[in-house]
Amino acid sequence: MKYLIAEDETALQQSIATYLERDGNVCEVASDYTEAAYKVDLYDYDVIVLDINLISGSGLDVLKKLKAENKKTGVIIISANNSLDDKLEGLDLGADDYITKPFHLAELNSRIKAVLRRGKFGGEETIIFNEIKMDTRSRTVYINNKMISLTRKEFDLLLFFMTNKDKVLSKEIIAEHLWGDHSDLLDNFDFIYVHINNLRKKLTNEGAKYIKTAYGSGYKFMEEQ
Amino acid sequence: MSELKNKIGLLRKASKTFLWISTVLMLAGTVALYFYTKKILQGEAEEELYSTEARIEDALASGRELFSLPPVMEIVREPSNGFEILKDTVIYDPSQDEMELFRELSTYRDINGQIYKITVRSLIVETEDILMAIVLSYVIILLLAFLFLYYFNSRANERLWMPFFHNLNQMKGFQVTSKTPLELKESNILEFSELSEQIRLWTDKVRADYENLKQFTEDVSHEIQTPLAIIQAKIENLINDEKLDQGQYEDLTSLQKDIQRLAQLNKRLTLLTKIDNQQFINAEHIHLVDCLEKSIDDFREISTIEIDFIKKDDIIANMDSYLANVLFSNLISNAIRHSPHGTGVHIVMKDGIFSISNHGHAPLKYPEKLFNRFYRESAGTKSTGLGLAIVKKICDMYGFGILYRFKDSIHIFEVDFRGTL
Repeated sequence: MKYLIAEDETALQQSIATYLERDGNVCEVASDYTEAAYKVDLYDYDVIVLDINLISGSGLDVLKKLKAENKKTGVIIISANNSLDDKLEGLDLGADDYITKPFHLAELNSRIKAVLRRGKFGGEETIIFNEIKMDTRSRTVYINNKMISLTRKEFDLLLFFMTNKDKVLSKEIIAEHLWGDHSDLLDNFDFIYVHINNLRKKLTNEGAKYIKTAYGSGYKFMEEQ
Repeated sequence: MSELKNKIGLLRKASKTFLWISTVLMLAGTVALYFYTKKILQGEAEEELYSTEARIEDALASGRELFSLPPVMEIVREPSNGFEILKDTVIYDPSQDEMELFRELSTYRDINGQIYKITVRSLIVETEDILMAIVLSYVIILLLAFLFLYYFNSRANERLWMPFFHNLNQMKGFQVTSKTPLELKESNILEFSELSEQIRLWTDKVRADYENLKQFTEDVSHEIQTPLAIIQAKIENLINDEKLDQGQYEDLTSLQKDIQRLAQLNKRLTLLTKIDNQQFINAEHIHLVDCLEKSIDDFREISTIEIDFIKKDDIIANMDSYLANVLFSNLISNAIRHSPHGTGVHIVMKDGIFSISNHGHAPLKYPEKLFNRFYRESAGTKSTGLGLAIVKKICDMYGFGILYRFKDSIHIFEVDFRGTL
C-alpha cells in the first residue's frame, strides 16, 4: 500500500512512517500544507494520514482538494483538538475516520486497514490470514471455512491482532483499544487476560496458534515459526 | 447567607435613625411644652386670684359691704389673724352639681380694725383644657411635620442612593463567565462615580484574567497533545524493535500508562473549558435510564465490583447526550474507584433522583472540597481528579441539584434532575 503522512511534526511523521513501513507499505511524507497539496495533486495514495493543523494551511483544505478531484483515496484525520465540531466537519468533508492525538500507532494502523477494507472490497469487508477469514461487516469469523463463535470483545481483539500482525501489542494498547477512556479504571489487566485467553483457546482448538506472548506481558500475532 | 439576615438595609437604617430622633425630640418637646405652658397658665391664674383679692380688699376698705359668692369668693370676719395660703382644693360647685378642682387663695386682712379672711377661688378645669388644647395641637402639628419630613426624606434618600443600589444589583448579577458588560449607572456624586469606576476596572480585570486563564488552559492542553503523540509513537516503535530486554519493555509500557493519564487529564480539562464556554448547546430529551444502563454495561465489562441498579422510574432530561454520558460515567467510575475490595456499588433511579452509593471506611475529611479540581482524598488513587469537578459543572449548567453525604459507612451521591435538591 502507498500512504501519505501529512504531519508537520517531523518526529511524529517519521514514527508513523516507520511503523507503517514495517508491514512493507510505502510511506511518503509531507511536512506542510504546500507539500501535502502538491503531492496529493501529483500522486495517488491508498490512504492519507492528514493532520488538520498543518503549518501553512489547514488539512481540511487538502481534503477538499482531494474530494474536488474525485480521488478514491482514504483519509484519516489526526488532530490535537478533540472537539466534536472538528470531527464532524472532517467527516462531513469526506474523511473516512478521525483520530485524536495522542494515539497508539497500532490503533492508527487498524483504522487505516479498516478504511482500506471498506474502500477495496466495495462492501464485502473481509480480512484473511492463512486459514482465518474475518468478515467485519457481518462480524463473523471462519477458520478453514468453519464458523467459530466469538464474543463481541473477542472479535474486536482478533481484528486488532490481525490488523497489527507481527507487532508487539502491550496490554495498555489493547486496553485502550477495547475500552477507550474507561481503560484507566482497570487497576490490573485481568480482564484482558480473560478475553485473550478465551480467544486463544478458541483459535487453538481449530489449530490456529498465532497469538504469542511477548516480553512476558505483551502479545504478538504472528505466523508460527 | 445567615449573616445577611442580621443586616439592615441602608435606607431602612437611615429612616430608623430619623424616626428615633424624631420620636425622642417630639416626646421631649411635648413634655417641656406641657410643663412650661402649665406653669404660665398657673401663674396667670394666681395673678388673677391676687388681683381679685386686692379688689375685694379695696372694696372692703372703702366701706362697702361685700357679700360672699361661694365657691368663687368668700369673705368672713375672723377674730384673729392667720397665714396666707395658696393651694388646690376640691369643693362642691352647685352650678355644676359636682365636686370640682379649684385653685384657692385665702388671706387674712386687717381692714379698718376688723380682720377679714378673704378666700378667692378659680376653676382649674379651664386652664387644664387650655393646656390640653395647646399640647394636642402642638403634637398634631409636629406629627404631621414629621410624617411629611419622613416621607420626603425617604424619597430623597432613595433618589440619592439610586445609583448605588443599581450598581450593587449589577454586581450581584456579575458573572465572570459571561461577556455582557455591567451597566453601571453614572452619578454626579463624586464617591459614587469613583465607586462605579473602580467596579468597572475590577470586573474588567477579573474577566480579562479569567479569559487569559481559560485560554491558557486551552492552549496548554492543546499544545501538550502533539508532544504526547510523538512520545507515544516513539515508544511503540521501540517496543517493536527486537533489541529490548524484559525490564526495558516494562518501563516502556509503564510510560504508555502515564501518557494515557496525561491524555486523559487533557481531555477532561478541555471538557471543563468547553462546558465553561457553553459549547454544549445541543440539548435533547434523553431517557436517562437507557443512557445509564449503557454506561453500567460498559463498567461491568471492566470491573469486578458488583453494580446493582434499581430502576423505579425513568427520568427524561433535556440535556446534551454526550454530557449525560459523561455525568453517569464519572459518577460510576468514582464509585468503583473508591469501593473497598469485595463490596458493591448501588444505583437507584427514582422520583427524578439518581443516587449512587459505595462503601467507605470513613467520611471524607474535606467534603466541601469534593467537587474542586484536583482534590483527592487519598494520594493512592490514580484518578485525574477532574471527574467530580466535571460532574458538578454539568449539574450547575443544567440546574440539577447535586448532593454528597456519608451515612452508615456509605458514600452517597445524589443528582436531582428536577433541580430541587
